[in-house]
Amino acid sequence: MPKHSNDRLQGTLDLLILKILDRAGPQHGYGIAQRIHQATSDSLRIEEGSLYPALQRMTHEKWLKAQWGTTDTGRKARFYTVTAAGRKQLEEEERRWITLTEAVNKALRFA
Amino acid sequence: MSPIGRIWNVIRRRRLDEELRQELDTHLALIEEEERANGRSEDGARRHARLRFGAPSVHRERSLDSVTATWLVDAMKEVGFAARRLWRSPAFTLATVLTLGLAIGANTSIFAVVHRVLLNPLPYGDSSRLIALDYGVPIANVSSGINFMTWQLYHQLADHARTLERVAVYDTGEVTLTGVGEPERIRVSHATPSLVPVLRMSPEIGRWFTEQEGVPGAPAVAVLSHGLWVRRYAKDPHVLGRSVILDGVSTTIVGVMPADFTFPNARIDLWSAAQSTRATASFLFVVTGIARLRDGVTMASARSEMTALIADLARVSPNQTGLVSTALPLQDAIVGRVASALWIVLASVALVLLVACANVANLFLVRSEARQREVAVRRALGAGRMGVARYFLAESLILSIAGAVVGMGLAWVASQLLVAFGPNSLPRLEEVRLDAAVLAFALVLGVLTAGCFGVIPLARIAPLHASLHEAGRGGSASRDRSRLRQLLMGGQIALALILVVSSGLMLRSFQKLRAVDPGFNAASALTFRIGLPNREYQSRRAVLAAHDAILGRLSAIPGVAAVSATTCLPLQTRCFGNSVLVEGRAFDRNRAPTVTWFNAVAPGYVEAMGMRLVRGRTINRTDVELGQPIVVVNKAFADTIFPGQDPVGKRIRSSTPPNSRFKAPDWLEIVGVVSNTPGTSLAERTPGVQLYMPMSIAGGPDIPAQALVGPSVDMMSYVVRTVTPPSQSVALVRAAIASVDPHLALADVRTLDEVLDGAAAQMAFTMVLIAIAAIVALALGIVGIYGVMSYIVSQRTSEIGVRLALGAEPRSVATMILRQGSVVAFTGAAVGVAAALAGSRLIASLLYGISPRDPAVFAGTTVLLLTVAAAACWLPARRAARLSPLEALRTD
Repeated sequence: MPKHSNDRLQGTLDLLILKILDRAGPQHGYGIAQRIHQATSDSLRIEEGSLYPALQRMTHEKWLKAQWGTTDTGRKARFYTVTAAGRKQLEEEERRWITLTEAVNKALRFA
Repeated sequence: MSPIGRIWNVIRRRRLDEELRQELDTHLALIEEEERANGRSEDGARRHARLRFGAPSVHRERSLDSVTATWLVDAMKEVGFAARRLWRSPAFTLATVLTLGLAIGANTSIFAVVHRVLLNPLPYGDSSRLIALDYGVPIANVSSGINFMTWQLYHQLADHARTLERVAVYDTGEVTLTGVGEPERIRVSHATPSLVPVLRMSPEIGRWFTEQEGVPGAPAVAVLSHGLWVRRYAKDPHVLGRSVILDGVSTTIVGVMPADFTFPNARIDLWSAAQSTRATASFLFVVTGIARLRDGVTMASARSEMTALIADLARVSPNQTGLVSTALPLQDAIVGRVASALWIVLASVALVLLVACANVANLFLVRSEARQREVAVRRALGAGRMGVARYFLAESLILSIAGAVVGMGLAWVASQLLVAFGPNSLPRLEEVRLDAAVLAFALVLGVLTAGCFGVIPLARIAPLHASLHEAGRGGSASRDRSRLRQLLMGGQIALALILVVSSGLMLRSFQKLRAVDPGFNAASALTFRIGLPNREYQSRRAVLAAHDAILGRLSAIPGVAAVSATTCLPLQTRCFGNSVLVEGRAFDRNRAPTVTWFNAVAPGYVEAMGMRLVRGRTINRTDVELGQPIVVVNKAFADTIFPGQDPVGKRIRSSTPPNSRFKAPDWLEIVGVVSNTPGTSLAERTPGVQLYMPMSIAGGPDIPAQALVGPSVDMMSYVVRTVTPPSQSVALVRAAIASVDPHLALADVRTLDEVLDGAAAQMAFTMVLIAIAAIVALALGIVGIYGVMSYIVSQRTSEIGVRLALGAEPRSVATMILRQGSVVAFTGAAVGVAAALAGSRLIASLLYGISPRDPAVFAGTTVLLLTVAAAACWLPARRAARLSPLEALRTD
């Protein structure tokens, strides 16, 4: 599996998922989508078509751990948690994101 | 993510899919809940949720694809489709799988033999350092191949050779085992205690011999083979310490060797400790030696050190003068003789595989053409060349693997047959089995063949427009496609011709070998060996009395025409050999002495064997009874020792070393000359020089071997000539011998015909294997030619229709088709003949009495092959001639 470190869009989704799960604790797919939605004040809507492949991939990369549980309304759902490896990945992605945005900001300011 | 994880996910894809389905269902339900909470109706909520969420099946697929090896999924699908397609054309599938199975099976079984016998190291510790002690006498033009040595030489090497870690010598023979149960004649090897340490082996139970047990005067000890332990002692572990009687000598069993210990051969039942010291060592060439090279020592330095040590020894003991060491790796010594035969057989079956591949490629071509329309549609729908390649490769892969599996089954059967019917002369045959390496070989062959014929249709993937055009109207297919078929057909003919020529050469050699005049009459005669235990028969007089009694009883059996005995039956046993002195002729130091094989015989031996008397008279009853100092020689003796002279009346004697402490043997008068008989092989270039002496003047238990008077008569081969079929007399013969001494056992009970068969067995074995390869190649070749010609006719049907409609004679149409076939057949045959001529040197070592370029064989087999090819062409040609013009034109 090639590392998608250069693929910013994918990296962004990974970063968001990791950040949400790191901050909010175990979540199911719907919860993750909701939280990204809320956290970005409705400006970022995550497509389910991208969310689940990302969750599968990150689980198989061992960044996330998936466990079956029950929702508040009594439905069976898969809950995801960040692993130690996932946390490391999160730090790295965050750092990279900041570097990139700073660079882009600089470019925008001085261009 | 690791590729292995992705492959693993392919296998558990169904489970992953099920989990995702549940997960997505929940997600959808949660969106629905949300929509309802926002005040939508039940229906509206569901519809909106669906709209927002998208198609769950697509999400599932994309999610799974992101973590699985999609190429494998595709490949499995492709293989599944291919399997279904093949299932729908059972005739094609069956023909292909059987053809491949046959060829792969033949290759696998022969490879199993080659792998075990030639490639696998000997089953001994660090066997690459083991050498066989072989000698040559350059001054007598014997460059190498003397695999006997003396006890003196053994002690010389064991004490002084620095290049050798350890030396061991052994001989093989037979003893009568008595004690528990029936007396039994068993095969023994007398070996120095160093034998098993040299080989770095250890017993299954008990121990091997100690150094002290190899010194004269030590109590007799023996080690059982696994086979004898099972057969006679039912694997009783308490056999250790028990006594057995070997030729009347009480011997203690100290160990049992494991089943895979088969040194010097698989037929040895028991090893006994040979006892010898340097002081009493004999100068007779009676033992065979092996040694282990010291680490870092080369064969060349070991040879030169041994040669120097022999020269030192020869100063004291002149009969070892001129001997040089030609030691060679033990593996070469054991399998060297059969290596070339096995490689040639392997090459033959490899050619069969090529013929089979050509056939299957042809079948594939037909199939790929029938599939043009389907392929064209695939390509029109956007399948690339790779996609079409997968289509054909998947089929060929399935077929080859199925062929490999069938081949493994056939190879299993074939290897059982090979082990059961292989000649004794093929060493290590008992080790042959189908192991992982052999099965892997079959599988690799399968995949390689898949590559071979699977790519052929690929080369034929026409440009899109052409294939659509062709698919639209079957008609005149491209010219180069039929050229490819003709190439395959010509190749098959060439390959088949090589094999047919080889088997023709082998067949003629075998005929020549069997046509060799053995110098005796092999029909209707029984032979067996009897050894008289020295403990009970302690003197020559006692031995002779026993033989006389046995001969008397045997001749009284109804249906027995003549009975006699010899110490040295043709083609069977090791014989007593020594040079002879001629009375009144000075010993010529500059000429290497001729080795003469000594036979000690009972009265009437020449008559009982049906040998021809050339001059003088034979040895009769009076000669034996009175111990007359006479001798009968064979023609080779007369020609070699008395060239151009009449030997009858001349006197000769066995020569002895000048410093011998024994009385010189008596002078013996030559009274007759008889026909030559083969010594060890029917294919001998020069017949062995032999003499026959009355058994009453030869060696015996009370006569030291070093007196060199002649062979010891305690072990003799009997010849019983019968008027009834010889095998019917076996029971009566056994009873007659038991009436003389119930403890005597018979060894090697056979007819003289079987003795001759045995001598030709190795060549028969090779010949049969090559002939089978040739027959299979020929059969496959005929099928291939027939297929190609039929195809050509079907392809030219409309053209033939036009010709016939325009008034062409049916005969000329047939001729036209035949001509097309014969151009290919003749070209193929010419290439085959050229290849066979070029390669004939390779098979020369297997042949006897015939040139590897024998014109008769080449002409005969070429005519045979072309006749068969013509017949295979004729049927399609006749079909073409019988076409009705109307129908032919109507054909699409």
